[in-house]
Amino acid sequence: MRADVLVIGGGSAGLAAAVSAARQGARTVLVERHGMLGGMGTASLVHTFCGLYLIDGDSPEFANDGLPREIAGRMEAATGRGPVKMGRVWVLPQHPVDFATIADELIREAGVERLFHSELISLEPGWRARVVCRGESFEIESASVIDASGDAVAAALLDVPDERTPSERLQRPAYVCGVQGVSGEVSGLELAGRIVEGIRAGFLPKSAMGMHFRASGRPGEIFGTLDLTGEETGSYDPTDPACLSALESTGREHARQVVSYFKDHQPGWENAYVAHWPARAGVRESRRWVGEACLTGDEILSGARHDDDVALASWPLELRETNRGPKLRYPDGGEAAGIPAGALRARGFERLFVAGRCLSCDHDAQASIRVMGTCFATGEAAGRMATT
Amino acid sequence: MVDCAVDDVLRMLGEEQLIELPSDAGAETDLFAAGLDSMAVMQLIVVLEERWGVVLGAADVGRDTLGTPGRMAATINARR
Repeated sequence: MRADVLVIGGGSAGLAAAVSAARQGARTVLVERHGMLGGMGTASLVHTFCGLYLIDGDSPEFANDGLPREIAGRMEAATGRGPVKMGRVWVLPQHPVDFATIADELIREAGVERLFHSELISLEPGWRARVVCRGESFEIESASVIDASGDAVAAALLDVPDERTPSERLQRPAYVCGVQGVSGEVSGLELAGRIVEGIRAGFLPKSAMGMHFRASGRPGEIFGTLDLTGEETGSYDPTDPACLSALESTGREHARQVVSYFKDHQPGWENAYVAHWPARAGVRESRRWVGEACLTGDEILSGARHDDDVALASWPLELRETNRGPKLRYPDGGEAAGIPAGALRARGFERLFVAGRCLSCDHDAQASIRVMGTCFATGEAAGRMATT
Repeated sequence: MVDCAVDDVLRMLGEEQLIELPSDAGAETDLFAAGLDSMAVMQLIVVLEERWGVVLGAADVGRDTLGTPGRMAATINARR
């Protein structure tokens, strides 16, 4: 199989990268391990697009035109819900089911050749990639490669050094599930109090503290989100299958316990049930690429701009180094910083680009650029860079 | 028992780092606007119990009881 552009990973960045490259006329192949695109926004049920809009706006103003605006427009049309202001930032509530079908439409219209249920297993400069689907492997030759895997999978397979935050400071993972059968309004504060009551009474584990709920916008449907420490089996390592496995089973166990406690103790929840589990827990940070440039948290906080900027980072540093809620750090003056092209170019290789949460940046900057709205923008930029 | 003052609440909020308090925070500061969400509220309930022995449950959590340092101090004093 031959391609002009091979995109590894079909999350928000890979989706945008593939659509953007294909729209430039490139023969584009997209390799995705799940049966749908959207990554964290579909497989992990993360139901909010952050980073689409400028900080502090009186009205929602897009930080990046192009695919971020286009995808947001399609999502608003699908859900009938517009942007919401939360503190100093605007976010767009999104539904994972709609996101998966919007992604299907986008790649069909753009003519992207997608390979679902497939994983990259080797990569050689040139570029020759080997991809496996259910035990059968095959080769893809491509002029350019975009690593939008989220975990810098291409760096690991090329055996080059990557950047990695020490385990204890890694952003913590989140577990999101869908709940049905709840009647009446959802009061997040009341539910928060109820969870504490459940912990006090010995019905719920202490780690259930922090589980919070938000209406999905569909009748009777609620998303429950639980931030985990990731330390269920020792130190947190989002590339270790034992650690990832514990995340999944712990997430399910705690979420089931909370919903079960609410059935007996929370008015309106008598008929509640967990309607769906995510395909995987949501990972916020793992490996990052070493690029020609490295975007820093200080640059985000000072609203720095560069000559070769390809996108704007308009989300604050959202630090989640513990599972006890986010710490937000806003840029002085609220100005969005530029993400330079060099942060999307892998150092030491020709025609190898990076997009999404594993692009070249430090731990603090990653706490801003990892969000889906920004991933659309860096993906789109990488798709353009790979075709010029 | 000495009453819990607004300053005690402000000191607690600073020490526990549940939210980013504005530098000019006072009795009327809107804590929910400052980032007090359902997640932070759970920890706050535990902290109030540890520090002041006040046991709050689902029925006691809201803007009228915890929405500002002033109201939080009043809630603590009323419930001790």
